[in-house]
Amino acid sequence: MKINSTLPLSVMAALMLTTSVQAQTPAKEGTTAARTTNGVANWTTYNADLKGSRYSPLDQVNAGNFSNLEIAWRFKTDILGSRPEYKLESTPLAVDGVIYTTGGTRRAVVALNGATGELLWQFALHEGKRSAESPRALSGRGLSYWTDGTKRRILYVTIGYRLVSLDADTGRPDPEFGVNGVLDLKTDFDQDLGDLDTGEVGVHSAPAVSGNTIIIGAAFREGFTPRTHNNTKGYVRAFDVRTGKRLWTFHTVPKKGEFGYDTWYNNSADINGNTGVWTQVSVDEDLGLAYLAVESPTSDFFGGKRPGPGLFGNSLVAVDLKTGQRRWHFQLIHHEIWDLDNSSAPLLMDVTVDGKPRKVVGLPSKQGFFYVFDRATGVPVWPIKETKVAKGKVPGEWYSPTQPIPSKPPVYSRNGYLESDLIDFTPDLKAKAKELASHYELGPVYTPPIVSTPEKFGVINNWAQGGTNWPGGSFDPETGIAYVYACGTCISSTGLLPPPPGLSDIPLVVGVAGQPVTMIKGPGEGAGADSPPPSAGGGGGGGGPPRLAVDGLPLMKPPYGTISAIDVNNGTIKWQIAHGETPDFVRNHPAIKAIGGIPRTGQATYQIGTLVTKTLVIAGENQFTTTADHPRGAMLRAYDKQSGKEVGAVFMPSTQSGSPMTYMVAGKQYIIVPTSGGNASGEFIAYALPGKK
Amino acid sequence: MKFALPIVVATVMAGAALAQDAGKSVWQGIYTTEQAARGAGVYAQRCGACHGAALNGTGEAPPLIGGEFISHWDTMTVGDLYDRVRTTMPQNDPQSLTREEYADVLAFLLKTNGFPAGGQALDKRSEVLATIGITAQKPANGG
Repeated sequence: MKINSTLPLSVMAALMLTTSVQAQTPAKEGTTAARTTNGVANWTTYNADLKGSRYSPLDQVNAGNFSNLEIAWRFKTDILGSRPEYKLESTPLAVDGVIYTTGGTRRAVVALNGATGELLWQFALHEGKRSAESPRALSGRGLSYWTDGTKRRILYVTIGYRLVSLDADTGRPDPEFGVNGVLDLKTDFDQDLGDLDTGEVGVHSAPAVSGNTIIIGAAFREGFTPRTHNNTKGYVRAFDVRTGKRLWTFHTVPKKGEFGYDTWYNNSADINGNTGVWTQVSVDEDLGLAYLAVESPTSDFFGGKRPGPGLFGNSLVAVDLKTGQRRWHFQLIHHEIWDLDNSSAPLLMDVTVDGKPRKVVGLPSKQGFFYVFDRATGVPVWPIKETKVAKGKVPGEWYSPTQPIPSKPPVYSRNGYLESDLIDFTPDLKAKAKELASHYELGPVYTPPIVSTPEKFGVINNWAQGGTNWPGGSFDPETGIAYVYACGTCISSTGLLPPPPGLSDIPLVVGVAGQPVTMIKGPGEGAGADSPPPSAGGGGGGGGPPRLAVDGLPLMKPPYGTISAIDVNNGTIKWQIAHGETPDFVRNHPAIKAIGGIPRTGQATYQIGTLVTKTLVIAGENQFTTTADHPRGAMLRAYDKQSGKEVGAVFMPSTQSGSPMTYMVAGKQYIIVPTSGGNASGEFIAYALPGKK
Repeated sequence: MKFALPIVVATVMAGAALAQDAGKSVWQGIYTTEQAARGAGVYAQRCGACHGAALNGTGEAPPLIGGEFISHWDTMTVGDLYDRVRTTMPQNDPQSLTREEYADVLAFLLKTNGFPAGGQALDKRSEVLATIGITAQKPANGG
């Protein structure tokens, strides 16, 4: 392990030189609430606050001037690693005029001048084999800020699963934290990972910091083709943010004698893993509760090694911030076998339901349900009914007879695919779509996976991508309205096959009849700065199943991607719009032109996070388009919060790949969009209005 | 930033060459079927594990076939695509194929996406490939 730290230029000194900002540190210990003082407004946690809002009250950029935005500065992340990154997902923080973010294939940390983008300092840990073996490489989703009014720290988890605490002013590791500023998260984990280099665990998310407590989740390899059902368990831990001392561990897979152990039949909790919290943790600092959106147990699509509902798999769990003790939980999917794992940060909203003020937690999901609970008690605000679901026929699988289905709000995103979802632009396209679909299984939400056969390759679904994936939702704390992006047609076919010898000890993994079953890799796996050369061999040739497209058009009807405004005061969808320009290959398709075009479709992507300001909902596009209005590029769009009407758009030379944020420095509002994709490597692009101020 | 130089060179060259050539296009038969067949073999060995045997993509690796893929590269050049692949793929060992192999793989991708084969093999030099434009729509004059 080698530390690479450069430019230990004092952040304060740098700011004094380039702006008139006087950095001020607040008295309260924690993360510094967003505020506007002396022309400075902060964004101090990944989601703007610990409630998950992605909201800023700034309104300098508004409906009247959004389209006038221009690029203020750009910061390319290529040099932060041994190769460029094409999957930049980090959302920066802004603290008193300084931008802090992770970036690059090394997951380095940089501090930038918020007004100019100039590099103030950079820190990176060179972790060698441990980083190369990580299930979660690349720049990650971001980092965290903490202060007690005197000390100021930046904390993040490295690719190799180490928690690092840096002096926010210099970028130097804090000698009072862990061992010389570094805490090895693969130890003191209530389980033995064996070799610390190869023991499987990592995480993309930014830590949640509240008061003196920092909470860390866990993530693993993609669960399509896991090596073993007995994988690492995704326990959640909290540490003292000053010292790195472990404060508590929450066993997401209960140990014998603990609550929930008996929901894993045949003691199967002992031999199953995953069940981590890979998305952001939200915290209610008044109630003293942390909200954990727990993912599924090992093997995304086959649970025969873990009969039973399996708590706390796919549950929302509220734990005591100080002790980690469970206060309440709700299992959203029993015995999850669809890869519909919890993906979104819990949204802690204060709303008024039936005339009464309520403190609720809302959770967007891949399956298009928006679950709402009283966040003190865990009682659903509107009934969530146990509903009978189809039982599958996969040998050795255990099926839950029912699943919880919310009665309110209505489903906000497609969560099943039926014949009525197939494209029908013309009778010919409809007929071809039906023929293609006949080789697959269609069905509503919770249609169980099938064994792949030459007659039925798999179930057509959007299980893995969703719906709403890791960017999650956002909300306006003043109105109680949540704004949630969802992909409507991020579809694939999922079937199961036995793995070849040596691939996995699970009887059935993801495969396609007629094709060799091979290991499927996860987000950034094997792509980090230290990744080794591949072994020989790879995917075989052969024809494979047909594409899920008809004459080059997507098999399913638009909308391909939407933003929904969900009124959590009454459980209704206030508005829903297609987000994103119609893709070129659809807009320019002869069949579409022949029918005179179609309304804007949005885009099939799950990478879109939304930003909410005083009056706007802001989100960029994740696909390149070339239109009559603009050359090849993507648009950053602004919508009126009340109506969903588009009120402005600005050109981006690359596509949004991480969630945007906003801040103010020297009286000027900036919006940063993390971008990457296609031939464009990772770059933070900061927009502001023209002129000095 | 070792990859940056070739791209800069390529761009400069592209401008010069395009001026002479009035723009070559992927629709003009810019690779050979033999080259694409070689590329299919390399693809199966080095690319298919992530992008899928049928180029449909698996997990996080995007599809390399179809409208999404082509419109992603619309108005760019074959040189842009070549250098993107060459400098970043395979993701865990970029630049581990020879330039000829990368060109072969590209020929395979072009063939699979419906661009016609021709009498001349795809060049292995980025600066030459940068003179060939990718357009999703076949030009009215046939390229």
